[in-house]
Amino acid sequence: MESVLFRKKRKKWNARNWTVFIVATLGLVYILVFHYVPMVGLLLGFKDADYSPNLLETLLFGDWVGFSHFRAFLQDVNFWNVMENTLIVNLILLLLNFPAPIIFALILNEVKHMTFKKGIHVVTTFPHFISWAIYGGIIIALTDQTTGIMNPILELFGLSSAENPVYLMGADYIWAVIIISSILKSVGWGSIVYMAAIAAIDVELYEAAEMDGITRWQKAIYITLPSIASTVTVFLLLNIGRLLSNSFEQFNSLQNSVNLTRSEVLATYIYNLSFSARRFGYATAIGFFNSCISLILLIVSNFISKKTTGEGLF
Amino acid sequence: MAELSKALYKKKRVRMYVADYIIYIFLSLFALITFYQLWYVIIGSFSNGQQYASGGVFLWPEGFTFANYEVIFRDTTFWTAFRNSVLRTATGVVVELLFTAAVAYAMTNKYLRCRNAYYWIFIFTMFFSGGIVPMYLLLRVIGLYDSFWVYIIPSMFSVYNMLIISNFYRGIPYSLYEAAELDGAGELTIWATVYMPLSKPVLATVSLWIAVEHWNSYMGTMLYTEAGEWTLTLQYYLKQLINEASGSSGTEYADEVTAKTVSYAGIIVALIPIMCFYPFIQKHFTKGIMIGSLKG
Repeated sequence: MESVLFRKKRKKWNARNWTVFIVATLGLVYILVFHYVPMVGLLLGFKDADYSPNLLETLLFGDWVGFSHFRAFLQDVNFWNVMENTLIVNLILLLLNFPAPIIFALILNEVKHMTFKKGIHVVTTFPHFISWAIYGGIIIALTDQTTGIMNPILELFGLSSAENPVYLMGADYIWAVIIISSILKSVGWGSIVYMAAIAAIDVELYEAAEMDGITRWQKAIYITLPSIASTVTVFLLLNIGRLLSNSFEQFNSLQNSVNLTRSEVLATYIYNLSFSARRFGYATAIGFFNSCISLILLIVSNFISKKTTGEGLF
Repeated sequence: MAELSKALYKKKRVRMYVADYIIYIFLSLFALITFYQLWYVIIGSFSNGQQYASGGVFLWPEGFTFANYEVIFRDTTFWTAFRNSVLRTATGVVVELLFTAAVAYAMTNKYLRCRNAYYWIFIFTMFFSGGIVPMYLLLRVIGLYDSFWVYIIPSMFSVYNMLIISNFYRGIPYSLYEAAELDGAGELTIWATVYMPLSKPVLATVSLWIAVEHWNSYMGTMLYTEAGEWTLTLQYYLKQLINEASGSSGTEYADEVTAKTVSYAGIIVALIPIMCFYPFIQKHFTKGIMIGSLKG
């Protein structure tokens, strides 16, 4: 009796099953090779892999060093300096760069001339498509002490002088440069998703509110903003998950030897440790730590969000 | 008649309040700042290097010249890098789009068993990765290090794009699938003849994303290649030009070109493909993002 039931449950695979199985499994094989196999490589963080000439041999047969790399970086002043840079820059970005596209979308939503609206959007979205290599070059050009345009502008406000020009790419101002350039590059593109969410709001909501004599400001705050709250939550969660991550190319493009003390973040620090200093084990340990913290941040913030607002990524 | 049309016209005109003017001025200023950044490099690239070095540019080129572009056009390394970036972008788009779309089709197909297992194995990689050293080791071991294919094969599948495409596939009427199934078409035939033609909007959007990513990236060149004949990419080469230029004052050049103004010409040439495609991207990205924002 039981075996009959069992057989009934297990339907035989037909050609369609096989086709989709093979295609999906090809994707799975790709993911296993290029995403899960490297995770095995994280074991380098527990091996004596620094300065190793043959990483594969070290990974397979090298000496285990336990958590000593982790202990080492947790006691390293450099690491904490980098951690501080990463956290402060990302927190400021979360405070300014994250709401900027939302505010931008709300403002753009108030524009009544469609051509003007579209024109503004076309112009402000374009920087998203410029690479960081190029955008970094543009910023370096604009902030140059002798040929750039930023110093003459600052002079107008009495913040700089021709004799003693401010070096904006120096350690003192690099955070401001990073944050302003991030906003300029991403605000137009980032606002698209919010504009789509605003466009999906039921017009009747506004009409009903207009009958009650609601002002424009109230409309934006009490109708538009709550209506796009779920989109905002999703992006907030993703941003919190990225508190320790930065675009390597952004920071690599803006870094120079003068501002390094302030512009070195985990992404670039791990690169420099592994490819300049060849401290593979140490760098992998920091990368592993970074990935774990990011995952925990994401899961915790997702959990809190689900409990409080009912919205979450998964 | 004339009065009637006048009245209609008046009705259509939007009323502007003080708040509107503030908004319009703010947005115009913002767009102006954004545009100016690019304008500065454009006029810099048409400027005489010596004159530029003595005080930069403001609104128009200083000592208008094509000399910087001539240097770039004669730079064979630049064109090697340009070729590699074009090849990489074209190949990368075709390979990633086809493979990702095929997996997306399988993932939405009712005949796939254990879909959730696939799903979670895929999703996890969006939030956790091995990092650069393990990836470097893997590419070394499988022989992709410093090969042109290092740009194509490790990025031939994207979980995020797969989710976007499968979301779109789910919106395609199921009756179309059933009809094709009744006709006896195989799964791959249904995918290629029913699903692919119907999903042109999302495929256009995703391929533009992939193209921009390939064209703009230089991290791969830095980490996983020696930047040789077939692996030097345009962005990496530009990065080098910019680095060299920012270290020079420009006075060491006797000619009318300097490292700075030449690097600006390089930047503009590298931006031309993006500028050419931008109107098409414009048309598609809003649609694509809206598809993406419908979580599934």
